[in-house]
Amino acid sequence: MTSLLGAVLVTAMVVFFILQPVVKGLQASLAREDDELTDTEARKRVALLALRDVEFDFLSGKLDEEDYRNLKGEFTAEALAALEAHEAALDGTATEGDEDLEAEIALARESLRGGVPCGECGYGNAPGSRFCSSCGSGLTRGASAGHSPATA
Amino acid sequence: MTILGEFALWIALPVAIWGATLGYVGGRTQRGDLVLSGERSVHAVTLLLAIAAAGVMAAFLGDRFEYWYVASYSNRELETFYKVSGLWAGQRGSLLFWALLLSIFSSICVWLNRKKNREFMPYVVGVLLTIVGFFLIVLLFADVNPFERLAFTPANGQGLNPQLQNYWMTIHPPTLYLGFTAFTIPFAFAISALLNGRLDARWIVLTRRWTLVSWLFLSVGIVFGMRWAYEELGWGGYWFWDPVENASLLPWLTATAFVHSIQIQENRGMLKIWNMSLVVLTFLLTIFATFLTRSGLIESVHSFAQELKIAYIFLSFMAALVGVSVMLILYRMPQLRSENRIESFVSRESAFLFNNLFLVGVAFAVMWGTLFPLIAEAVTGEKISVGPPFFQKVNFPIGLALLALVGIGPVIAWRHATRRNLKKNFLWPVVFGAVVVAALWSMGVRHGLAVTTWGISAFVLAVIAVEFWKGTKARARIEGEGYPQALFHLVTRNRRRWGGYIVHVGLVMIFVAFAGSAYNVDVRQHVQPGDQVEVVSPFGNTYTLTYEGLSVSVGRGQRNLDWQIIAMLSVAADGVPVGTLTTEKRQYVTTEQPMTEVGIRSVIREDLYVILSALDDPGGVLDNDPSAQGADLQVLVKPLVGWIWYGTMVLIVGTLISLWPSVDRRELERERASGSGDAERVPAGVEA
Repeated sequence: MTSLLGAVLVTAMVVFFILQPVVKGLQASLAREDDELTDTEARKRVALLALRDVEFDFLSGKLDEEDYRNLKGEFTAEALAALEAHEAALDGTATEGDEDLEAEIALARESLRGGVPCGECGYGNAPGSRFCSSCGSGLTRGASAGHSPATA
Repeated sequence: MTILGEFALWIALPVAIWGATLGYVGGRTQRGDLVLSGERSVHAVTLLLAIAAAGVMAAFLGDRFEYWYVASYSNRELETFYKVSGLWAGQRGSLLFWALLLSIFSSICVWLNRKKNREFMPYVVGVLLTIVGFFLIVLLFADVNPFERLAFTPANGQGLNPQLQNYWMTIHPPTLYLGFTAFTIPFAFAISALLNGRLDARWIVLTRRWTLVSWLFLSVGIVFGMRWAYEELGWGGYWFWDPVENASLLPWLTATAFVHSIQIQENRGMLKIWNMSLVVLTFLLTIFATFLTRSGLIESVHSFAQELKIAYIFLSFMAALVGVSVMLILYRMPQLRSENRIESFVSRESAFLFNNLFLVGVAFAVMWGTLFPLIAEAVTGEKISVGPPFFQKVNFPIGLALLALVGIGPVIAWRHATRRNLKKNFLWPVVFGAVVVAALWSMGVRHGLAVTTWGISAFVLAVIAVEFWKGTKARARIEGEGYPQALFHLVTRNRRRWGGYIVHVGLVMIFVAFAGSAYNVDVRQHVQPGDQVEVVSPFGNTYTLTYEGLSVSVGRGQRNLDWQIIAMLSVAADGVPVGTLTTEKRQYVTTEQPMTEVGIRSVIREDLYVILSALDDPGGVLDNDPSAQGADLQVLVKPLVGWIWYGTMVLIVGTLISLWPSVDRRELERERASGSGDAERVPAGVEA
């Protein structure tokens, strides 16, 4: 008898619990929340992390100067492309609340541009350089874009 | 309670089907009410399965022998501890337990994601409840219902196999099941990503911790099984390439491959199809392992006919999973293209790739060796055994290559390593490895495989030590910190990377221990009281064991023991008494043959392992005949065997460090606020 009562009670509870949303129209959210990383944001993050790793490998003596310059050049180009893609994605959706993000991106871009790689040897040159301090090739503003893979 | 449990099991099936259907339909139609109902179904199923499991436990504790399952795995005299664990002592309870663990993980997953990753959740719920539903169908319709009643109520049960009455055996299956079931979550997210088309690295990032949790439980579960075999089976080994052991190793191998290859996808946008395939393969192997060990297939192929129903259900389900997964991957193929290409044979990418190929290669070899005898016997009717030599021949070389990659992978440069890069990072570790080999050789250690293993291990440890040293030094310099503080921050700022290194150290320790078995010492001797057995360990010390004679303890059926005959030995190491060891023969009420309990004395470098192989006259001993004290003893010295367990502890610590959230949300926010200009400055990176 107790078992029967228990069974009825459990069934009633379960049925009520799972049918309530459908009957009462309770909704679960299906949309992305604001604070989650977007695709382009994730790409940007990964690119920046790769840069940090190269940087750290160099500082800890795992990469020598030349390998470091080459790798840094390549990763910088990637990071820049990722940033631009992210920015392009934001342009479509940007609202007033995104000022912080915009500022962040501007900063990040500036710091990356600071190390803009030479199209020939990959050396990261100081901002505003017109010639590469390492190999002497001419630097154009588009040097980095020429390097980067297609942006999403 | 037991009746209620049985009832709950029946109700759980329609609830699971309802929830799974609503998950898929809700995801397709984007209706929040349906999805919410689906998510609530997950919790409801968890509650119902918990009631069902409680019902089984109540039947065990209440000695309800009218239930077939209780009568087969328990009796009145069984200790309460083993009655509780009766839930997973046999096939029927295990399947219920599996479903319960999976539904608990599913509930945790739904709860953790109640406010985030919402676009994944409808299909995740659908997949998870499909799997739970499958196990419920097996439980209810494949003649394996744990609540099945006998036509009569026996006066007592048949009791639990004494070999299973061991602490390790009690925690080994649940630990493995935790690993098996936890891997269902990454699988569910992968399928959800395929269904909803979000095929970037996000599903991987979201399930990274689940993958690691699963991997940890699998690793620990396997080691628990080794420990049990070592203590209980009484032949001094811990691994026999037995089908049941192999079944648990298979998903571990592919999960290990997956843990590594996801890093390539996250960092380089490559191997997307491969990762999808690996997650599906690993999940299938967890199901396969459960099937292999819990379908009765392994015990004997001749009982196959009786178990045909469950085998068909399992095989069809696995076939359906493969079919659906392959179709989904093919359908999404265009979006799964690689974003980058492997540029050089000598690069971190290719090291990861080799790691994956080797691991999957080992998995296939083990799978083939496990299944071949079954298939051959089913086809030809003749018993063929694929013994340890096959597995050793295939797996030892690949294992060594993998061990070497543990040292190479983390240090070699991304994209393409130059000659200078290789020299800079590997010269000294290689020299160190060579010095260790030379030193061992000069000391007379000449076993090729063992020396190679130790040489490679030394190389790997040197690489990792240098990594820690360089990292700490750089951080101390950049941040102006003291070395201990720098080391602490180094690890905490990138737990994933440094935790991974620590896991590798644990793994190397385990390999070192494996190689130690090349120097096992085995002495067999017939002894009378007062006789001494001398054993020289490979480390050069001499153990002298003095046989003190036998004592008898009559159990009269308590704890299912009929009698115990205990051999007592005094042990001296290099002439210094270090205590006593006992080894026993035990006769249980529930078995015909007496069981052997071994005596083990562990020190850091080696174990002394004593086996009471045979008694001259057990009847005489039980009758207290003083002339019946003769016995056959087997004394083993097993160098380095303890390092398997120490290495496992290190591995656990490393995995926990990796699992811990690297940077909390607040710190991330602060970083955002200050701008990411510190990309130039902050070393070691932040990984979400």
